[in-house]
Amino acid sequence: MLQARFLDGRSTRVRPVEVSVDGTDFVIRGEDVDLRFPLSQVRVDERLGRAARRLRFPDGTCCEVSDLQALDELLATLGHRDGWVDRVQRSARHVLLAALACVLLAAVVYQWILPWGAAYGARHLPPVLGKSLATQTLSLLDGQILAPSQIPAARRDTLTASFRALRLPEGGHPDAPLVFRRSVQLGANAFTLPDGSIILLDDLITAVGDDRETLAVLAHELGHAHHRHGLQMLLRSSVLGAFLTLYVGDVSHLLAAAPAALLQARYSQDFEQQADTYGARLLILNGLSPGLLADALAKLAAARPEVSQGGYLSSHPSTDERLRRLRAFDPADPDER
Amino acid sequence: MESASDTAAAPSPAAPPQPLRFTGNGAEYFGIWIVNLLLTLVSVGVYSAWAKVRRLQYFYRHTELAGSSFDFHGSPIRILVGRAVALVLFILYNYSVRLHSPVTLVVFVGLAIALPWLLRNSFRFRLYNTSWRGTRFHFRGSVGGAYRVFLLNGFLAVVTLYLMAPFAHQRFKAYQHDNSWFGRTRFSFHARAGQFYALYGMLVVAVALFGYVLFKAGIGSGFAAMVHAQQQQHGRVDPRTLFRVMGALYGGLIVMGLTIGSVFQALLTNLIWTSTRLGDHRIECHLSPLGLMWLNVSNFVLVVITLGLFTPWAAVRSARFHLEAVTLVPATDLQEFVAAEPESIGAVGEEAVSVFDFDISL
Repeated sequence: MLQARFLDGRSTRVRPVEVSVDGTDFVIRGEDVDLRFPLSQVRVDERLGRAARRLRFPDGTCCEVSDLQALDELLATLGHRDGWVDRVQRSARHVLLAALACVLLAAVVYQWILPWGAAYGARHLPPVLGKSLATQTLSLLDGQILAPSQIPAARRDTLTASFRALRLPEGGHPDAPLVFRRSVQLGANAFTLPDGSIILLDDLITAVGDDRETLAVLAHELGHAHHRHGLQMLLRSSVLGAFLTLYVGDVSHLLAAAPAALLQARYSQDFEQQADTYGARLLILNGLSPGLLADALAKLAAARPEVSQGGYLSSHPSTDERLRRLRAFDPADPDER
Repeated sequence: MESASDTAAAPSPAAPPQPLRFTGNGAEYFGIWIVNLLLTLVSVGVYSAWAKVRRLQYFYRHTELAGSSFDFHGSPIRILVGRAVALVLFILYNYSVRLHSPVTLVVFVGLAIALPWLLRNSFRFRLYNTSWRGTRFHFRGSVGGAYRVFLLNGFLAVVTLYLMAPFAHQRFKAYQHDNSWFGRTRFSFHARAGQFYALYGMLVVAVALFGYVLFKAGIGSGFAAMVHAQQQQHGRVDPRTLFRVMGALYGGLIVMGLTIGSVFQALLTNLIWTSTRLGDHRIECHLSPLGLMWLNVSNFVLVVITLGLFTPWAAVRSARFHLEAVTLVPATDLQEFVAAEPESIGAVGEEAVSVFDFDISL
């Protein structure tokens, strides 16, 4: 015999009833209530914490039961078994295992699945997406921090011509735009937009001096373009952001934003290495030495001392390490792929 | 001679206030949270709809009024459909913003037309699937009302440089609460726009003061150093300075949200719920602003240092704090009110929820 509160679904009137079992039927009896339902027609709420559970009957009425222990015993006599998620949620051992599995899964996704998925996605997204992203970014930057280049036109044309003449490891020549700009804020820098166009800043050309070394920097940038690092970054940050919102978004949205930036930083180190490798292979293919890229990086590091110590949250590997790799570059080494 | 039923039907003078009680527990909820998080991860998000139903059920069923708990009846499939639609809209929006073409305009107009309708349906879904003592809530706001509240007032707020934003907020809450029902009893909303303006005015003053103090305290000097560096060193800014300034700005935003934001949130919630009635029954809400600030600050710190594992405890603490600040003050005895509307609510299956009723709140 089980004490319960009967609700008729048409009013908020609460009627105390007694629930019992007769064969495979539930029997509900109380003041002007006398009902009987076979177990198969009764939906039993899963057990959530210590909340009252409801027995829901096919006619829309229900019983609220607070005595969870007695209900369990009654259900056991009827052969009712709670759903597996329901049972797992309440077992301390399973909860602990679930927590460990979450940590493990998150690590595997972060380490392998997300990078693989982003690379796959970046290769298969329609090119128009990269194009529109790039157009938008450039027009935004042109209004804010980019100014027209002041490098003489003749020098720019020579650079562009040797850039166009480069043979790519995958065949063909670079066809994406090479854009010359000057920027007070960004200084000696070059970067690649999601459609593969490369922005080359005046200060870099001046700081590097030797245009063969500038060409080596462009080879590195072609590596970013080849691997579509811009799009990969975008995809990774979207997924990370969505996960963090799911994870702690209930409590704080501000909180969800901060770790995303930190988790991104390590990824971009890998991108720099990939771009170095590609650049080195491209240089060798064109009869140039990967040492040119190393020399350019060394000059840039001298021009921007703060960056070489793993400045911006270590988004770049330390310059010393990159120089070592480039100067010892061996295209036959399977690790250098 | 007086019968027992006559006595029961007579209006009882003493109608004790009924506070909401929350009986949830962090450790219990942790188990539910982590198991559902794992299932969500393994299913690449699909299970999140089932997880959401369970989360809402956990919180609703542990919320008690006059000895009976609330319940949530939403179907996970509908929530899944809602999430799929929300995701498509989100991608469409993000894609079109970056694409400068006539398509952008088409998508914007389409979204502007669809969103009020979707929001209204999501209110309907949420209320229709909420019940207390077997009786469901309802939302009966019109589609036209939704367009007025979200499109027209939103537009007015933007073109008046947000001078009309408090008014738009008041109209939105009025639309939401005036059209909510519990069974056959209607809710009503009584806060005036002036009261919203008073709160928003305080918010603006507090944020301005906070910004001034923060600027004086160092961010200003950081900026000055950056500007100086730009002029002196041919424009190169030390990334470390930049990082410090950005960090201080971000930290300042968090501190502002946790302090001023919490106080504002408490005062606004109190205003909104204390100005809401269910039939003749009053609702009182007395969130303590400092208490809410402490709750938010401590939850934030604990979630950060436990790398998110404290989240379920934080959610339970927050629910308890918010819910237990609310009291229903019955005009007549609550039992009597309930008995006075016996045949009123064919709650179960009375209202065929249309195909488009799904939940888009993420």
